Amino acid sequence: MALNLYWMQAGGCGGDTMSFLGTESPDVPTLLQTLDVDLLWHSSLSNLSPARHGELLEELTAGTRPLDILVVEGAVLQGPAGTGMFDARAGRPRKDLVAALARRAGHVIALGTCASFGGFGAGSETEATGLQFTRTHKGGLLGADFLARAGTPVFNLAGCPCHHDVLGNVLLALAAGVPIALDEFQRPLDWYGTMVHQGCTRNEYHEYRVEEEAFGEKGCLFFHMGCQGPLTGGPCNKHLWNQRSSKTRVGVPCFGCTNPDFPAAAPFFATGNIEGIPTALPKGVSRAHYMAYKVMAAAAAPDRLKQRITEV
Amino acid sequence: MASRIIRDLPFNRVEGDLEVSIEVSDGRITDAWSAGTLYRGFENMMKGRGPLDGLVMTPRICGICSTTHLTAAARALDAIAGLTPPDNAVRVRNVALMVEHMQSDVRQSVLMYMADFAHEAYRAHPLHAEALGRYAPAAGSSAIDAIRETKRLIEVIGLLGGQWPHSSFMVPGGIAFAPSLANVLQCRQIVGAFRAWYERRVLGCSIERWAAVGDGAALDAWLAERSEHRDGEVGFLLRFGRAAGLDAIGGGPGAFLSYGAFDLPRETAVAAAGGRLLAAGFASGTTIRPFDAGLVAEDVSHAWYRDHGALHPADGETAPYASGQAGRAYSWIKAPRYDGQVIETGPLAEAVVDGRPLFVDLVGAGRSSALVRQLARLTRPALLLPAVDAWLGELLSTHGAPIVAGEGHVPDGEGAGLVEAARGALGHWVRIADGRIAGYQIITPTAWNGSPRDAQGRRGAWEEAMIGIAVADPENPVEAGHVIRSFDPCLVCAVHAVRRRS
Repeated sequence: MALNLYWMQAGGCGGDTMSFLGTESPDVPTLLQTLDVDLLWHSSLSNLSPARHGELLEELTAGTRPLDILVVEGAVLQGPAGTGMFDARAGRPRKDLVAALARRAGHVIALGTCASFGGFGAGSETEATGLQFTRTHKGGLLGADFLARAGTPVFNLAGCPCHHDVLGNVLLALAAGVPIALDEFQRPLDWYGTMVHQGCTRNEYHEYRVEEEAFGEKGCLFFHMGCQGPLTGGPCNKHLWNQRSSKTRVGVPCFGCTNPDFPAAAPFFATGNIEGIPTALPKGVSRAHYMAYKVMAAAAAPDRLKQRITEV
Repeated sequence: MASRIIRDLPFNRVEGDLEVSIEVSDGRITDAWSAGTLYRGFENMMKGRGPLDGLVMTPRICGICSTTHLTAAARALDAIAGLTPPDNAVRVRNVALMVEHMQSDVRQSVLMYMADFAHEAYRAHPLHAEALGRYAPAAGSSAIDAIRETKRLIEVIGLLGGQWPHSSFMVPGGIAFAPSLANVLQCRQIVGAFRAWYERRVLGCSIERWAAVGDGAALDAWLAERSEHRDGEVGFLLRFGRAAGLDAIGGGPGAFLSYGAFDLPRETAVAAAGGRLLAAGFASGTTIRPFDAGLVAEDVSHAWYRDHGALHPADGETAPYASGQAGRAYSWIKAPRYDGQVIETGPLAEAVVDGRPLFVDLVGAGRSSALVRQLARLTRPALLLPAVDAWLGELLSTHGAPIVAGEGHVPDGEGAGLVEAARGALGHWVRIADGRIAGYQIITPTAWNGSPRDAQGRRGAWEEAMIGIAVADPENPVEAGHVIRSFDPCLVCAVHAVRRRS
């Protein structure tokens, strides 16, 4: 049965669309075709006239035309002073339109960290928020108790941008009627239940605490370069980017972009530490045991790592 | 009897949100006001952050040209730190940036520009059925082709930079990782496959044959020469565009700005004057003068910001002031001017400033138009691909050479990173003080092209380009859409940021 989908771009960069266009197996046209998705509107792709688009919005918000899936990309801007006029559409705040569509939608998908948690503008004068969270605080535009028409909360497909394969797979699950298990921040566990660290080709360097201290060295990026991979859930090293690689594989630290508090206030490319031990340790570890383990691991490091012979 | 109506119209397929008010009198556009209606807040959000944070924050301004913002941010830090990236860092930066431009040129042309050709407003056009088969959103044959081929091309940035969009692999003095020989070989294979598709389906001829098209007459001869030329995307653009009159509208301000791009490595087989593949300059008509960064200033007289008069971006500020300017203000986009003049920027400006014969001839003959502007964009990959090939080849022969200079430390100081984005001139002006970002001002190509009026009341480039256009249906002025989209607007880039509350 056909699913219809309305894709709203709000206060964002369009990067989640650009990322999505990079999905493979199936690619975007094949995905839409095989799932029989009727793309009612996408800001970057549709060629409806302004008048026809206006009619469509009226039908959807009035409920005279059912809406199966609402995808929101970008943060909801509530500033200045709660008016929402930092992001206006036809002289009215976009936030009101997002809320009106969400109330009618079978499922609501927040695509990317901005739509999920507010992202860059959360806490700023733009008063950015996610659909059902503002950073780690549940609520957001739609409220903590919001459920879409099908009884599901907002699906937070976090990431800056969201990994290109996640949306397609969530659509597959929705079309199949399969339940989607979520974590505490409403991110699907299938995609965010793995640490970004897992699968990184620098894992041996991490294991034996052989560290990168200058750009271009072979080594682990966790101890000096600010890598958040061991603290961040995401598929970057499990499914790779653009079918090829990941940031950490090419010496760029994970910046924790799937986390609700992204971007953190602390400078990037630097690890906060006390006497060489990072103040934020891999998710869930015991500090005392971790420190003992790292001292022993460094002592056990093989020469091929200490001499940076092993490739990353 | 004269009729005068004013319509406020939203435009999509422009990377973000644009609303344009047009005044139509007797079937022609007699005035236009272009408004960026989104205010996102990046510049002041940067203040107080770590000195390298522009490498992470600014790519996220724009989903379609994140590598370009990364390049500008890295170049600003290179300048502050006084670092010259080694040749292989220059090659990797260039290749990644050129790949990003090429995906943007193809996606914008096919998915965003020519999608209008499949619009029902053209149902009487003799080529409409073919246009529908090619450009129907996410379903036409060319649309599907463009999505698939650009997705594969982008894998090059995956290999060199880890991911696309939004990576941060360019760092002060170079890049963060030396690609392996296997990585470079894979990049060559991907680029080779893209080139074969681009020649077959977009140009309908070899890049060498296209490069021989040196003036307007040669362009007509090329189009008449073979059915393959007419059937490619370029040929279809010309045939449909001419029949729809796009060669007669949207001429623009007649002044062009390019910051120049793609530094040549010190040792390279790629030849270009001035040490860069694309020259920097300002052109009035086709008269080219050297570019002087000191002549850039931003006017906010008609934008929702506090107004201190026109400021050079190194001294600029971004203070939103929604109720200011006594009702004159209508946009979140500032109005940059060069030496006080309204200019256009983008692939056509690059071509004119770079002295490329076809576009110099067309512009010199007064034939600049929405169609010529789009032609410059869709054919830019023909200029870039040979250099991409050459630099990937050089990365094989120089494998193991340094990829980064310096220690990654950026001292206090000021610097600018000026590059050509897919849409034209992009500048980051950065000031570091006490080990933190103290100032960050960005002028995007869409600020140049899509600016509101300035203090002298002069319209922005595409506002002006719309004046005089005949529109068949004021409720759906596809003609104005062609002109605006020929500038490849990127509204997500053109917006500015506000200060984080303490």
